[in-house]
Amino acid sequence: MSKKQPTTLAFRFTPADSAAGEDSNPHAKASTDVEATLEALASHFSDAVEEVIAYAGERTVRVDRARIIDVLTFLKKEQGYTYLADLGGIDRFTEDDRYEIMYNLVNMDQGKRIRVVIRVDEDSMTVPSATAVYKAANWNEREVWDMFGIRFEGHNDLRRMFMPDDFDYHPLRKEFPLLGVPGSLPLPPQTPSGGLTLDPFARAHGSIPPKSFDEPAGEDD
Amino acid sequence: MASDSSLSEGFLTTRVDAVVNWARSNSLMPLPMGLSCCAIEMMAFAAPKYDVARFGSEAMRFSPRQADLMIVAGWVSYKMAHTIRRVWDQMADPKWCIAMGACASTGGMHRCYGVVQGCDNFLPVDVYISGCPPRPESLIHALMDIQEKVRNEYSVAQDGHFGNEMPAAAAARPKVLSSVGADAINPDGLYHQQ
Ligand code: SF4
Repeated sequence: MSKKQPTTLAFRFTPADSAAGEDSNPHAKASTDVEATLEALASHFSDAVEEVIAYAGERTVRVDRARIIDVLTFLKKEQGYTYLADLGGIDRFTEDDRYEIMYNLVNMDQGKRIRVVIRVDEDSMTVPSATAVYKAANWNEREVWDMFGIRFEGHNDLRRMFMPDDFDYHPLRKEFPLLGVPGSLPLPPQTPSGGLTLDPFARAHGSIPPKSFDEPAGEDD
Repeated sequence: MASDSSLSEGFLTTRVDAVVNWARSNSLMPLPMGLSCCAIEMMAFAAPKYDVARFGSEAMRFSPRQADLMIVAGWVSYKMAHTIRRVWDQMADPKWCIAMGACASTGGMHRCYGVVQGCDNFLPVDVYISGCPPRPESLIHALMDIQEKVRNEYSVAQDGHFGNEMPAAAAARPKVLSSVGADAINPDGLYHQQ
């Protein structure tokens, strides 16, 4: 019997780190090669483009957050990026300009992809809403508001996406405890007239939820 | 034999309980509370290969008024918990509950802020099933356990007590945090925020 050598069990990464800053990532096909768009952005928004990041063969453009709507409109109308594939938030926690919002755009005609990011500081957690440009941004912006507490100015229906409306926290922030804040998300009452159960581990603390209750008395009883 | 003599007289004696329980246990109508991936296995449980019709439970009822067995299949979010308890309360007595899978039993791998760490925190669960997801055989086993439980209940005598709280439950309940009442406790006092 041949014994399995430890080296065969090594965990293998996608070579993302070595590909940083290069175009050698085999996973990034020609779709992320968007030189023409980058040049057009640089000439139209020379003041707004803050940084162009090439990572693993993909291009990310960081722009001034005040100009994001102009940039998105330009990319959609002039450059053909008609499809907003994704919009999301990133919490960089200890960095300056703590939050990032990223927009993944796709040009369906030419098969090109580009990522645009803006940075949001903790002191001013409001950014312009992209819903006027891309309708698809609606739910994604609601999710970013729900998870990070970043407000989108001009969004017509900025409610929480997943958590209950009266929830007090933004759970994807790094400082939020993994198991949540006890008492912030109540369970159903233990009795019909009782208050909501605030203990998330009620069973472990001795609760035996009752099987059923007396029917409330009707009018003719 | 003694039974022969009674049969030869043309009648058979038994307990009402035994007849009622026999009928109940062989015609359990599940309410499929399919909340996530476990629900796929629950479908297999009802489909021809595993064929729960052999046990008289093939009639899945989506109306709580027509069901007497709730199968909680999948993880329960805090938002959904209120709906599930409401559906449960709408089911007519007698009723039973199966917590299917690691998530419904304990929260499973979803040890996070949004998922209830076990649906027994707000539902009276009769049978728990381990596994992620449990195989349909496990669910059939759980159904057979429920049938066993039903057959050993005092169904007629106990019907008078349905609706009343069990004394043991009442004694245990004041330990639980509640937002109102004499036992209302500030949760911050019990937990250290991380
Ligand atoms: S126990 Fe596994 S299969 Fe079932 S709901 Fe949880 S994660 Fe899904």
